[in-house]
Amino acid sequence: MNPVVLIRIFIGLIFTVSGTEKLLSPYQNFLYVIQGYDVVPAPLDEWVARVFPWIELMLGVFTILGLWTIWALRGLLIVTAVFLCVVGQAVWRNLPIEKCGCFGELVSIPLPTILLMDSILWIYIAYLIIRMERTSRCSLDEYFSK
Amino acid sequence: MNKKSSKKFFLTILIIVVCFISISGVKLFKGHPIWAVSTQMPHSKGSPHASIKIIEYMDFQCPACANGAHLLENFIKNNPDKFYLEVRYYPLEMHFHAMRAARYAECAGRQGKFWAMHDLLFKQQSTWAPLLNAEPVFGEMTKTINLDPKRLEQCLADPTTDSRILKDKERGKAQEVKSTPTYFVNNKMLVGTVNLEKELKSSLK
Repeated sequence: MNPVVLIRIFIGLIFTVSGTEKLLSPYQNFLYVIQGYDVVPAPLDEWVARVFPWIELMLGVFTILGLWTIWALRGLLIVTAVFLCVVGQAVWRNLPIEKCGCFGELVSIPLPTILLMDSILWIYIAYLIIRMERTSRCSLDEYFSK
Repeated sequence: MNKKSSKKFFLTILIIVVCFISISGVKLFKGHPIWAVSTQMPHSKGSPHASIKIIEYMDFQCPACANGAHLLENFIKNNPDKFYLEVRYYPLEMHFHAMRAARYAECAGRQGKFWAMHDLLFKQQSTWAPLLNAEPVFGEMTKTINLDPKRLEQCLADPTTDSRILKDKERGKAQEVKSTPTYFVNNKMLVGTVNLEKELKSSLK
C-alpha cells in the first residue's frame, strides 16, 4: 500500500482512539484536563469537554475512510494547531500539569514531549494535504470520484 | 445532485449516525458510576444521613487533593450537620510516595488516628513530596500524633494494609475515576476542586 495512505490511516487512528477514549469516560475527567490548561473560560469549558471528543472522533473516522479527506485533514490541521497553542502556553506559563490528558488515561506523556509530537503530527498532516493526490488513494473519495 | 453525490452524502450521514449509536450504546451498556457508602470501616466524617454526601478519591501526594482537603475542612467546619464525607484511597502510580503515604494513613487509622494523619500528610505535603526518601518525615508525623511504633511497624508490614488501599482504588476504577481528586457529591461526579467548590456552594443555597 502507498505509504502516504498508511500515514493517513495512522493519523486518523490516533484521533479516533483519542476521541473514543474521552467519549467513553465520564466527561468530567476531560473537563478537569481542560481546566488544568486554564485557557477556556468557565461557562464554555463544560461545552468543550462534551463536544471536542466528538470532533476528534469524526475527523479521525473520516480521515481513515478517506471520505471528505481534504476537509477532514484541514480540520485535523486546525485541531493540532489548537493543541500546540494550548500545550505551548501551558509550558510557557509553567502550569502545574503533570500529564497532557491527550489520550485520557491510556497514555501519560509529559508536556514538552507532547509539544514535539504534536509538531511532528502537524507537519505530517500538512504533508498529506500537499500530497492530496496520493493521500486520497484507497479512499471513499476516490471511489466516488470514479 | 447526481447519483454518486447523493450516495456520498447518504454515506456521510450513515457514518455519523453509526458513530453516535456505537458510542452511546457502549456508554449505556457500561452504565453509570454507582455511589455507595462503604460498609467496611470507612474513613468518614459526619452522619451518613446528612443531606450532602461526599465520597472523595484522593492521593496524598497530589497537590490538588491537598487544596481539596482544605476546602472541605472549611465547608464542614461551617456546616457540620449538612455533610457526610467518606475518603477513599486512590494512589496514582506517577506519585512516588503516594502508596507509602496511604499506608501510613491506613495504619494511623487502625490506631484511631486516620484524620490526624490525613491532615498532617496534606499540610506537610510540600515538605515530603519532593524528597527521595520521605520515610523520616512520615516517621516524625507518627511521633507528632503519638502512634504506637510497634503496632505501626507491624501494620506497615501487614499485607492487608495494601489490600485495603488497593481495594479502594479498584472501587474508584469501577466508578470510572481516573484522576485525583475525584468527588461524588450526592452521586454527581466532580473532578477537581474548582468543580467541587461550585457544587458545594450551590448545594448550600
